[in-house]
Amino acid sequence: MMIGRWPFIVLFALAANAVGGGALAADGSAEKGKIAYVKHGCWQCHGFAAQGGIAGPKLAPDPMPLVALTSFVRNTRGAMPPYQDAILSNADLADIHAWLASLPKATDFRSIPLLNP
Amino acid sequence: MQAHQRFQVIDVPMAADAEATLPALVEAVKHALSNGRQAEIVERGEAARKAFAEGKARTRAAAALGWDASPISTARLCMELYATIRDLDWSLVASEGNVSNWPNRLWPIDKYHQWLGRSGGYGVGYGAPASVGAALANRDLGRFSVSIQSDGDLMYAPGVLWTAAKHKIPLLAVMHNNRAYHQEVMHVQRLSNFRNRPVNLGGDMGPVGTSIQNPDIEYHKLAESMGWWAKGPIKDPAQLGPALKEAARVVQAGQPALLNVWTQPR
Repeated sequence: MMIGRWPFIVLFALAANAVGGGALAADGSAEKGKIAYVKHGCWQCHGFAAQGGIAGPKLAPDPMPLVALTSFVRNTRGAMPPYQDAILSNADLADIHAWLASLPKATDFRSIPLLNP
Repeated sequence: MQAHQRFQVIDVPMAADAEATLPALVEAVKHALSNGRQAEIVERGEAARKAFAEGKARTRAAAALGWDASPISTARLCMELYATIRDLDWSLVASEGNVSNWPNRLWPIDKYHQWLGRSGGYGVGYGAPASVGAALANRDLGRFSVSIQSDGDLMYAPGVLWTAAKHKIPLLAVMHNNRAYHQEVMHVQRLSNFRNRPVNLGGDMGPVGTSIQNPDIEYHKLAESMGWWAKGPIKDPAQLGPALKEAARVVQAGQPALLNVWTQPR
């Protein structure tokens, strides 16, 4: 059982190392996060409801853990450009994550008549 | 590279129509198959049908995200539109990838004329004039033409609206008005991030030089001024369905109609 945990621990350590700089606050403010999400342009690809689309995947409901989100934002080399601490702080990221985590579950598509024509 | 896009050498040149030839070719291939191979194909078909159904469910679940959001989600825009036109002989005459390809992902498209494709390059300002041209062709065939009209696209050649009104070309233009030249957004964002500079200078929501805000363009008034029936801006998803039905009646009476809908970016 213990052996199975090692990859997770190593990945966590690597991610935390890659994030660098200030400590990650796990208790961000959802209220501030909603504002930061718009200010930093997350909506541009992920939508105002974090619903995702052709330009970027959904971010909520059920966002990825904060440490993983932060590591990705700092180090991505894909279609999304990386954001460094100088323009998007760890505190803002924690707030954004708190807002994402506060978003309700989506309506079940089976209950939406227009999605079941 | 020397062979790229070259015509292949042929022994017997024969002009043919793929649409007319394919059914006979399919039957010929079926007859040539062994029983074992036929069973393999049936099995593979069942697996493909199952994967297709699962993929459809995932797509619908994705469309449900942000369903009641304002600005209106592009999935909601497209499915409200489909509910309006589904019983008509419809033809989607222009819709770029800006609405996350929802029509191609969620609408049953089983006739050639139902989807006229894209510009072929990256046609800037293609949507409005292309849709009017296609609607002119569809008019004489009795088809109902509909376009999902991007706001930035309409800024390039809005004069085509007058042409449609002048010549009584019925077309339902439903605007995907995300208030931006959104195609450019991430290019500006990428360079700003690279230099650790803020991309937004305040005032507008998007990166500098990409927003079409302050003032917001009243495309419904622009269309009205050129002789169209028009309505908007529609921001509440609950108001979209009734407005679409109203606009569709105008188009069925032979006039062009435009709905200015405020939407999510993509």
